[in-house]
Amino acid sequence: MPKILLVEDNEMNRDMLSRRLEKRGYALTIAVDGAQGVALAQSAHPDLILMDMSLPVIDGWEATKQLKADPATAGIPVIALTAHAMESDRQKAIAAGCDDFDTKPVELARLLVKIEELLKKFPPKA
Amino acid sequence: MKSLPFRWQLTLFIVLICGVTLSLAFAGLYLYDVQQFNTEVQRRLEKTQGVLIENLVPLLEQNPNATDLPLTLLGTDSQIIAAAVFSAENKLLARYIRPNTKETIPPPQLGTSLLTNNRSVVWTPITSPDGSRNLGKLYLKAELTSADRERFNNLLRGAAIVFLASAMLAVVAAYRVQRHLTRPIIELAEVSTAVQRDRDYGVRVQSTASGEIGSLINSFNAMLETIQSSTADLEQARVAAVESRERIFQANEQLEEANRTLEARVEDRTKLLVKASKDAEEASKAKSSFLAKMSHELRTPLNAIIGYSEILKEDAVDDGDTRTAGDLDKILNAARHLLGLINDVLDISKIEAGKMELFLETFELQKIITDVVATATPLVSKKGNTLKIDCPADIGSIHADATKLRQMLLNLLSNASKFTEAGTITVKVVRLPGDGVEMIEFSIIDSGIGMTPEQLTRLFKAFSQADSTTSSKYGGTGLGLAISLQFAQMMKGDITVTSEPGVGSTFIIRLPAKVQVKQSAVIHNTSHKLTKSPFPASASKPRLLIIDDDDEIRLVMGELLGLSGYETIEATSGQQGLDLAAKLKPDLILLDIMMPGMDGWTVLKLLQADPKLADIPVIVISAVSDTEMAQSLGAVSVLLKPVDSARLTAEIALQLNPLPRCFVLHIEDDADAREIIARMMEREGWAYQSATNGNVALRILKRGTPVAIILDLKMVGMNGFEFLDILRKNPAWVAIPVVIVSSMDITQEMGDYLTPRTTAILQKGRFTREELANLLRPAVETCALAES
Repeated sequence: MPKILLVEDNEMNRDMLSRRLEKRGYALTIAVDGAQGVALAQSAHPDLILMDMSLPVIDGWEATKQLKADPATAGIPVIALTAHAMESDRQKAIAAGCDDFDTKPVELARLLVKIEELLKKFPPKA
Repeated sequence: MKSLPFRWQLTLFIVLICGVTLSLAFAGLYLYDVQQFNTEVQRRLEKTQGVLIENLVPLLEQNPNATDLPLTLLGTDSQIIAAAVFSAENKLLARYIRPNTKETIPPPQLGTSLLTNNRSVVWTPITSPDGSRNLGKLYLKAELTSADRERFNNLLRGAAIVFLASAMLAVVAAYRVQRHLTRPIIELAEVSTAVQRDRDYGVRVQSTASGEIGSLINSFNAMLETIQSSTADLEQARVAAVESRERIFQANEQLEEANRTLEARVEDRTKLLVKASKDAEEASKAKSSFLAKMSHELRTPLNAIIGYSEILKEDAVDDGDTRTAGDLDKILNAARHLLGLINDVLDISKIEAGKMELFLETFELQKIITDVVATATPLVSKKGNTLKIDCPADIGSIHADATKLRQMLLNLLSNASKFTEAGTITVKVVRLPGDGVEMIEFSIIDSGIGMTPEQLTRLFKAFSQADSTTSSKYGGTGLGLAISLQFAQMMKGDITVTSEPGVGSTFIIRLPAKVQVKQSAVIHNTSHKLTKSPFPASASKPRLLIIDDDDEIRLVMGELLGLSGYETIEATSGQQGLDLAAKLKPDLILLDIMMPGMDGWTVLKLLQADPKLADIPVIVISAVSDTEMAQSLGAVSVLLKPVDSARLTAEIALQLNPLPRCFVLHIEDDADAREIIARMMEREGWAYQSATNGNVALRILKRGTPVAIILDLKMVGMNGFEFLDILRKNPAWVAIPVVIVSSMDITQEMGDYLTPRTTAILQKGRFTREELANLLRPAVETCALAES
């Protein structure tokens, strides 16, 4: 069962996304801010991270940078979830080291395709 | 004579004529008197002679050699001063000489001769009464008696008196006649002089005269009349002109006053406008930040609505509750529509605020079309439409904003799908090799309901669909096309549409194959920040050559430099630049570096290598900062694009400015070091010129000789040693004092070379400004003294 770390501060978004992903057979770990996200990524070793960008404590860009800078977590694919439809935010996300991005509100079908693609590219360690 | 007044000329002329006539008459009279007088004296002498001969004949008949002849009787005759009688054999028989006179008797001659000095001599033969015998000769010499002389003198005196009286009379008469004759002429002259002097055309010649002078006066008066009337006309015209000038002047003043008021008002309004525009700018900033925030705030609840609806719908589908699933679908559709609206409004507001940015990248056209088609397929097939793709495999790539292109294509495909049922929608991609700019053309062709021309006109307007009822029937925000058009225009492309009701529509997006977002090449400053040409009055403006492949830069710089008082010539390539430089010998060259074909560096090298062109200062204008390279190749300065117009014109003026008198030349590549020396020069009140290396310095030297040179040794381009070598080999420059200011460690060998060629060698940071100033002062002051 692929393990997904969802870093999201908004409770409703967290609830919806986690429920729908769990329903489709993913194991969800939840972090509510950037710092927790980094910590959980290091401790729980998820197969993929869904990272909101506007996060308290440290934001998603910074969290991603830290994860990509740490050899232990650098190999985990990160999908940035940008609430803003701003081009610059996406560019910033890619620059921070995100492997893909998707715009909120999440279109589940589209997100699932991206998740599966990345999981294929970075196969979970057995 | 000619300078005499006419009246005196005339008088003199008359007197002269009278004088000559009188003199001639007097001379005639005199000659006649003398003649008369002489004749009388002669007659008297002949009478005396007759009496004598009568007495002598009987005596000589008796004795031809008688000597006792009664000549002494002649003593009673006051006019005889000598007398003698000669025999037939010319022997002197008797003689008489008046006492107290020295007279000699000449040898006998024949005939009578009248001598001058009032003396007459008469020789008379003495013959017998029958005339048959020559008895001898009588000699008589007579002179005028005192009574004769008296008479003669009286005669002369009388004539003289008559002469003088006549002369006097002639003068008086001449004067009178002259006055009568000359008065009109003189008045004419006086009047004409007065007219000339006083410009008073009202005077007239009063005198009258007959003949030519009379008609002259009449003509002259008539002429004055004409002049007077035309002068009066002129005066009237002049007065009218003065009046109208005054009126114009007054009008001008009023206008100026109005202008001042207007200016003041304009100034007020400008201030208001500036404030308003600042306010507007701030408001616009506030608006976009508000929109960004709002869109986030709107999306968060929407996110929840859509997300939970989807969860519920999934559950309903799982539970087989199709009715609930249907309702949830409606909620989802409405929510998605709302999301679309929010996104579009955000796009439009960003475009309007000028905040929409382009992210250009190069990507495969095939890939983006496949991508878009994949996304649009569900939409297209929804109404039973067929999607046809016409995109050649070798279509290649495009350099553009992929996200925006995707959005545009999706928008057009979604529109086509909405308005077409069971038809065909074609996506066609063509590469158009246009002249100069290669374009990519994307056509979305549908066989849908089409549009009327009237509908077409409203098509691209924001919040306007072809028909206001459309949105309720077909959905959509009405913003999509407006946004797509804006995107296309941002990428220097456009969207066009052709349509026919009932047949279908064709939307065409055209984009450059290589979209370029250009920063403005030249930063516009207001014109008063431009430094004007140093030769404003010169008939021929300084000529500048702009070498740049970018049309816009040439256009903008051309205008800018034209405003600053220069003539510009433009070259679109390096080679053309070289050709024009050789042909037209510009005063300065503005050179771009990044050019296709021959680049700026090559142009610079070739310019410097040509002795005829090497002296033309070159300012490099480049997007890449490579000041060292430019200077080492001989550019006088480097300006980075975008070019600040104020700096550009200041730099040009600096290069073309006439050199100051008595200037010190400072050759140094380090800007800080130049600044220090510049401040020292300013404090001393000395003129100076800076050069960044030896090449630039040589160019200055060719324009004028400095009084002294401060020379750095280590420089990019021509260094201090090379410069010094050239300087000292030129006889014109050999005497210029050179002070070395360098941070180099001077070796023994260097010292040996430098010492004979320089005044002093100073180590950077180890001398005081005063020391340097003292080294230069003699040269500067000598020059200043010579100048004054």
